[in-house]
Amino acid sequence: MKGAAAAIELGESKIGSTPRSGVNRGAAILDFILRIIAFLGTLVSAIAMGTTRERLPFFTQFLQFRAEYNDLPTFTFFVVANSIVCAYLMFSLALSIFHIIRSNAKNSRIILIFFDTGMLALLTAGASAATAIVYLAHKGNAKANWFPICQQFNSFCERISGSLIGSFVAIVIFVLLILMSAAALSRR
Amino acid sequence: MDSKESENIAVTDAKAAAKGKAAEGAHPTADVAMKTKTQTRRGSKKGLAIVDLVLRLGASSAAVAAAYSPLSSEQILPFFTQFLQFHAEYNDLPTFTFFVVANAIAVGYIGLSMPFSIVCIIRPRAIGPRLLLVFCDTVMIALVVAAAGASSAIMYLAHNGNLDSNWLAICMQYTNFCQGLSGAVVASFVAAVFFMLLVVNSTFALKK
Repeated sequence: MKGAAAAIELGESKIGSTPRSGVNRGAAILDFILRIIAFLGTLVSAIAMGTTRERLPFFTQFLQFRAEYNDLPTFTFFVVANSIVCAYLMFSLALSIFHIIRSNAKNSRIILIFFDTGMLALLTAGASAATAIVYLAHKGNAKANWFPICQQFNSFCERISGSLIGSFVAIVIFVLLILMSAAALSRR
Repeated sequence: MDSKESENIAVTDAKAAAKGKAAEGAHPTADVAMKTKTQTRRGSKKGLAIVDLVLRLGASSAAVAAAYSPLSSEQILPFFTQFLQFHAEYNDLPTFTFFVVANAIAVGYIGLSMPFSIVCIIRPRAIGPRLLLVFCDTVMIALVVAAAGASSAIMYLAHNGNLDSNWLAICMQYTNFCQGLSGAVVASFVAAVFFMLLVVNSTFALKK
């Protein structure tokens, strides 16, 4: 009885803390699901870009018209960035599970926010750089004498354009993850 | 019987009074400890709020530099033909139009977020404004890094060209133009780093 009274006096009654814990656990489960979706998005993007190649049906004695993702360094950066983020998301799933088990953990959440922010920046840089080059490949730039290559390499361009989608989905998820972690930290 | 009972009650009262005194004696110490802890926490939160304001000023100056630099970096080559003049401007490349707009939005946002940052200095324990700032700062990271990333890809192409796709390097002609734009891209990445520090700083402030 004395213990219960002391607990109530100190504001540690179980009745008050259970709903908060429940909300945090729910947020942690959602965090886990979003991480899996982002992981799949970046994985699909990296694979789609990395396996893109097209060979045109005509050729000369010395030349063969062939397009691969690594012909443009920006696409190489895109694949590397997506691979790094994909690996990070796989490792971060462990911390996400830890947050489901211990929903009131604080320091691990701060670590997660810190790395999530870094990965958001890396992924956004990779995706936007690739988008700029894809735009150039589609439209070209007459003033700089950069001609559109997508008129020749049709399926190559379709594939690289499609591979950007997964990356942008992952970017949106990262923004949500950071917000959710911040909200979980602030919950009193 | 009565006297015994009254004696018993008196003893109990005395015990209770002694207990009460002890408790009273203990309370102020606990109160002081709690107060000190709260004040320390409040002080550290105030410190973080001041750091937030300073970081915002840093991000603002970097974003202003990034937005203004392309506007002022145009170059006209000294030779021309009867019909052509060789002239380079930032809006010849759509990516740089996006770059200028994104950085201008970032500058505008920082201006609007300053009052919230000041509110966090005045009321260090306020959670609402901080959460709002974390969300908006995260969106700004995405926007500024997207602009900087896209522009750096185009700048790389302008400097080095690409033989496989027959895209020639234009920076061999327009050297000043390219230097100005490269500086703007660097400033934009600096602004992005400031925004990242803002998110981390706000996270520490949100921690109870």
